[in-house]
Amino acid sequence: MLALQLTLTGLQAGALYALTAVGFSLIFGSTRVFHFAHGATFALAAYLFYAVEAAGYGFVPGLLASFAGAIAFGLAIDWFIYRPIQRDEGSFFTVFVASFGIGIVVQNLIGIFFGRSFVTITSPLSRAREVLDGVYVAPLAGIAFVVALICLLALGFFLRTTFTGKGLRALSDDPELVRVFGLNPRYLSAAAFAIGSALVVPAAVFTSMSSGLNPAIGHHVMLISLAATIVGGIGSIPGTMIAAFIFGLAENLSLLWFEPQWSEAVVFAILFAAIIARPSGLMGKSAAR
Amino acid sequence: MRHFGKFTAAALFALAAPFAAPASAEDITIGGLFPFSGPNAVYGDVLSSGAKLAVKHINADKMLSGELSIAYEDTQALPQPAVVAMQKLVSVMNVPFTLSSFTGVSKAIAPIGTRNEVVMVNGGGVGPDLAELGDYFWNVIPLANLEVRASVPYAVKEMGKSKFALIYVDDPLGASILKEIESVLEDVGGELVSEMSVAPTAQQFSGLAAKVRSSGADAVYIASYGAQQVQIAKQLRDNGVDAQMISYSAYGVPDAMALPENEGAIFTAQAVKLDTGDAMTTRFVEDYKAEFGKDPAPYNVNYYNATMLFAILAQALEAEGKEITGANLLAKRKEMRSFDLVGGNVSFLDNGTLLFPIDVKVIEGGAAKTLATVDIQ
Repeated sequence: MLALQLTLTGLQAGALYALTAVGFSLIFGSTRVFHFAHGATFALAAYLFYAVEAAGYGFVPGLLASFAGAIAFGLAIDWFIYRPIQRDEGSFFTVFVASFGIGIVVQNLIGIFFGRSFVTITSPLSRAREVLDGVYVAPLAGIAFVVALICLLALGFFLRTTFTGKGLRALSDDPELVRVFGLNPRYLSAAAFAIGSALVVPAAVFTSMSSGLNPAIGHHVMLISLAATIVGGIGSIPGTMIAAFIFGLAENLSLLWFEPQWSEAVVFAILFAAIIARPSGLMGKSAAR
Repeated sequence: MRHFGKFTAAALFALAAPFAAPASAEDITIGGLFPFSGPNAVYGDVLSSGAKLAVKHINADKMLSGELSIAYEDTQALPQPAVVAMQKLVSVMNVPFTLSSFTGVSKAIAPIGTRNEVVMVNGGGVGPDLAELGDYFWNVIPLANLEVRASVPYAVKEMGKSKFALIYVDDPLGASILKEIESVLEDVGGELVSEMSVAPTAQQFSGLAAKVRSSGADAVYIASYGAQQVQIAKQLRDNGVDAQMISYSAYGVPDAMALPENEGAIFTAQAVKLDTGDAMTTRFVEDYKAEFGKDPAPYNVNYYNATMLFAILAQALEAEGKEITGANLLAKRKEMRSFDLVGGNVSFLDNGTLLFPIDVKVIEGGAAKTLATVDIQ
């Protein structure tokens, strides 16, 4: 029964990881910007939802504020931070350092504006009920799983069927060719940041209700997103999604054999094993062509 | 854009310059090592507020020849940043005395302070081995071994709990609480049915809740701190754990009190008498309420007392024409032995630790209510 319980909690964690990791993968895969501040987008979205909900405006306004804040933040970072650096031919590392710095600034600003304490939205949806003997599932877990599935299927549909989606895939393959075909890489880059940032919102909202928030919450999210992107294959949305679920399950099922303190180490052991066994990732394209 | 960048840098430098100016010779600076960022940042404000009020009182009363100030450094409650901060306090600012917090942080800075003869006073960390860090390390808080000896027997004898699960953070504090609980449970006829260590940065505990449930524990002791301890409590309750939750003094923070899932949880804290009627305690309580808009908690008292202790010792040294150094402060503390601080007259044990009775408290309606006061000898 414990194994079944841990599998269910692993799937819930995996769904949340998938939403954040896929957003990061989309941005990194399309633009090659190492958007470390993606964790800050997550934290910002979660706190905006918390602020609006806790102020008594309700769930939907909170959700809208969270979407608006996450998308605006993603676009602003792209416009005002990354593009000036890239315009001056700043290196990949310069962009990474800038992004890392933004993450720290946002963490501190959240601390200043929302306080440094633990906060959470109390909801009956986060309370688990016994569905089988000794197996508890919260309604929120099911909702998170379904929402993640819908978001990821919608993203796949968008990337395959729409003009912008195809452009994003093309941008990830060859930015020069995108220009030759008359597409605007800047518009596509903005689209990647907007969609990638919006994808963190469901996970941020669920986290605010399930495990609660503190200003440093984005750090863990970012680590998992990064690991899932590498293991799944850079630029591969399905690969990232599968890797995120593997991490969620591994983190929880490892409790059957290891102390909880090693669960994060298990995730990174998988990362190292994947890098050695398949450097291009589960569904990534080999660099040696 | 480049001009704007240069302008911004110049403006920032110009703004920062006045603050970087060295303090005048008669000013006295002590250190304050607290977490102001990271998952334990909530403690930064809680721990420093008592010290800030003490500085205000000390300067208003002109206890010292110069203005006293505290140079705060952010440790993030982690040993590595704390060591860097301590080196700065010792080597650059030449402080004779610093406030410290958190077990891991205190153990990391203790060798530096001892080597440089800087007094370190802890009012927040409760790892039992903090009593063994040498002459220059003092504690104005009862340590966790004493807290466990109060809460666990209470839970067994008064609440009828016998099967304990322990969730402890993987650091010196957690390890020492594990050791103490194993020993105390053996004495009082309880059983430790499950023990689980968590990384200090972990935030997901739903899987851990499943393990607690499957262990059949009727009480779960949470030995963590900061945001993590509250996240553990919430996720335990959300995931069907209805065992009695027990913790220690780190639980006495506003976010733990405010969490509805913590209703009925018990925790321990040092017993501080705020109704003694003596002038210092009355002034502290009234001014704390006026300054921060709430009643003082034990942590606030501890850092007020720690800062006031420095002022009492430094005042005595100045009266004798002696320099305020760590070595002189230590010698003066050993000479004076007892001090009038908030809560009454207190004496240090030989190992530099103050002994207080322990309150066992329960969280009811978002506030802590004392269930019992235990005298630990």
